[in-house]
Amino acid sequence: MMNAAVTRNQHWFDLPSSRAAVLCLAAALFIVICALPAIYMFGVSLINPDGELSFDNYRRLLTERRQYQLLLNSMLLGAGASALATLIGAPLGLLLARSDVRGKNWWRLALVVPIVVPPYVLALAWTWFAGSMKMPTEWAYSLTSATVILGVSFYPLAMLALEAAARRVDAQLEEAALLVAAPRRVAMNITLPLVAPALSATALVIFVLAVAEFGVPGLLRVNVFTTEVFTAFAALYDFGAATALSIPLLLITLLAAIAAAIVTGESRLTSRHSSRAGLPLPLGRWRSLVEAALLFVLFVCVLLPLLTLALEAGSLRLTTAALGDSGRAVMNSIVLSSVGATLAVALAMLPGYMRARMKSRRGGHLIDLFFITLFAVPGTVIGIGLIGLWNRPGMAGMIYTSPLIILVAYLARFAPVAALLLSAGMQQIPVSFEEAAAVAGAGWWRSLTKITLPNLKTSLAAAWTVAFVFAFGEIGATILVAPPGESTLPVRVYTLIANTPSGNVAALALMQTVIALLPLMLLALLMRHWGRTL
Amino acid sequence: MSDGFLRLAAVTKQFEGHAVVERVSLTVIAGEIIALLGPSGSGKTTLLRLIAGLETPDEGEIWLGGERVATAKRSVVPPHLRAVGFVFQDLALWPHLTVEGNLDFVLASARLPKRERKERISETLRMVRAEAFARRYPAQLSGGEQQRVAIARALVGSPHLLLLDEPMAHLDLQLKIGLLAELKLLQQRLNLTTIYITHDRAEAEALTPHIVMMDAGSIVTS
Repeated sequence: MMNAAVTRNQHWFDLPSSRAAVLCLAAALFIVICALPAIYMFGVSLINPDGELSFDNYRRLLTERRQYQLLLNSMLLGAGASALATLIGAPLGLLLARSDVRGKNWWRLALVVPIVVPPYVLALAWTWFAGSMKMPTEWAYSLTSATVILGVSFYPLAMLALEAAARRVDAQLEEAALLVAAPRRVAMNITLPLVAPALSATALVIFVLAVAEFGVPGLLRVNVFTTEVFTAFAALYDFGAATALSIPLLLITLLAAIAAAIVTGESRLTSRHSSRAGLPLPLGRWRSLVEAALLFVLFVCVLLPLLTLALEAGSLRLTTAALGDSGRAVMNSIVLSSVGATLAVALAMLPGYMRARMKSRRGGHLIDLFFITLFAVPGTVIGIGLIGLWNRPGMAGMIYTSPLIILVAYLARFAPVAALLLSAGMQQIPVSFEEAAAVAGAGWWRSLTKITLPNLKTSLAAAWTVAFVFAFGEIGATILVAPPGESTLPVRVYTLIANTPSGNVAALALMQTVIALLPLMLLALLMRHWGRTL
Repeated sequence: MSDGFLRLAAVTKQFEGHAVVERVSLTVIAGEIIALLGPSGSGKTTLLRLIAGLETPDEGEIWLGGERVATAKRSVVPPHLRAVGFVFQDLALWPHLTVEGNLDFVLASARLPKRERKERISETLRMVRAEAFARRYPAQLSGGEQQRVAIARALVGSPHLLLLDEPMAHLDLQLKIGLLAELKLLQQRLNLTTIYITHDRAEAEALTPHIVMMDAGSIVTS
């Protein structure tokens, strides 16, 4: 009787073949939206203006001396920003995970702010600060400045990664070492090697994000591949050069993503969740000094840039006036980022689920690599790829000439990171939950929506927030694809810099920061409500 | 001061106001093997962690080899100076080190010269019949092999006291019987004072006639 009832209640997409079809459809949609622009760019780079297969673009890349300088600048920017971010973030993460510093939740929330502030906003604050301090222009607008700004922008990633890794280290591994060695030796020989893979993978991701960054080098007039791609396309209308210049970027991205995926795969071998806290780091009489050091980091990386923006923006009246002029761009940004984040999470859900439930370890690592690589593709490369794909007659053209193309750009850029976060969250949910649901008669879809997703709420909230924050600050792709008359807040700020009083620009940048902070606050409140940490 | 090699005097340990170990007094004489038997949550593991120095007692004293190693709320001798070998329930083999590396970390911490370390590692691995997988990583070993390596790591530093926290909980019966017999022989050969935790009476009886029963944080029979 029971079996008959279950059969009657089964939905069509609970049938094994329908499940496979739904998953394949979701994967295909994900690939078309997220991977096709990069694939298109690669394909176009191999074709000459006459439509024939050609390596001319690459010959130009290899023979022009200028390309080597671009490569060197891009690598220095990535490596420097990654090293600085790790140098700042790793000790902070260790302190948050293991020390007895007071008010850890507050520190975590405050110190994570730079990742929410778009990097170009930090760069703007830096130029005004350097100006007010009468620093030489060649010093303010330099590769070193861009490197420091991106290091400050991305250190929260290293901080959060190290904190999570340090919390995941099985306490027994450290206790077993404590029985034979002094705490310092245990920290150096056991704890550090166990958290090193997570830290290295994060350093590689930061490297890729810095290499892919457009706003900061663009503002500080640093010549790197992303800015050259933009110039080749937007200023010189040289599509071939723009695509060819994208290829080194794609290659750097791919290599770093492969390294990050390999290292991350290793880290899964070496650490696991422990119910007991690991080796504590009591600060003793140093605690006040360490807290003062945290305050210093907070002041330099968070308060000083915000204060500079506020001072530059001037009075509230001027700020309100500046916002009034750009109201449409502000609203566009809020609406498009909210819808974009929601769609990115929806698009990422099933590919994330497929990754989480993949039985083959190697296959799982390959999909991680795929997600990481897509996330790391620079915005300018995606932008040109989208123009090539969507700027054609018919339905595609209708989308291309409407704000919908900005949504497509957000999906292409940020659905992969949402998929990574969701798959990581789903891997924490035991398969037995779904098996128990299946035994109870629930079909796959019912099991997914009624069992898996409710247990995934923290990952869903985190993925949405990350997608929103990134989308809200996105500039590399949007500046290329935004239809005439349509603009987002970052694009508006970027285009106003040259010919508008700095106070107006500062007011908009401040607005950008405040709005981006709101979802972070909301996420922190939600996490607190759910009994989790950020 | 001590009649036995290990002496616990009215040791109490609380977590969040709840006494997990309550006024436990116990004496173990040198070379003796005792089995600490009791249900889950009876305080066996906490007692072992107190002896090893991984926890500090709230009340009472712990004496080891005639030396007071812990007193109320104070660890007098840190864990790495207590000469204790510990086999954890989950074995806790360091995954980033090979089998040899796991053992070498113990000896290098004691600042032994490289040559002596190498000899001691070979000898210990031979003793537990694990020399064949010296170069492998823990993840490349079976459950029984990992067990032998965990025991070898606990023994390689020539401890004065061996503590085993349900080390065979995850093994099948056949493997458990074989390893228990080997452990018993090893303990007799080394004349090593040993405390073995289990919740399985048959396992305890297979190992030793000296069984101490714990329940709700206290020793009920010995």
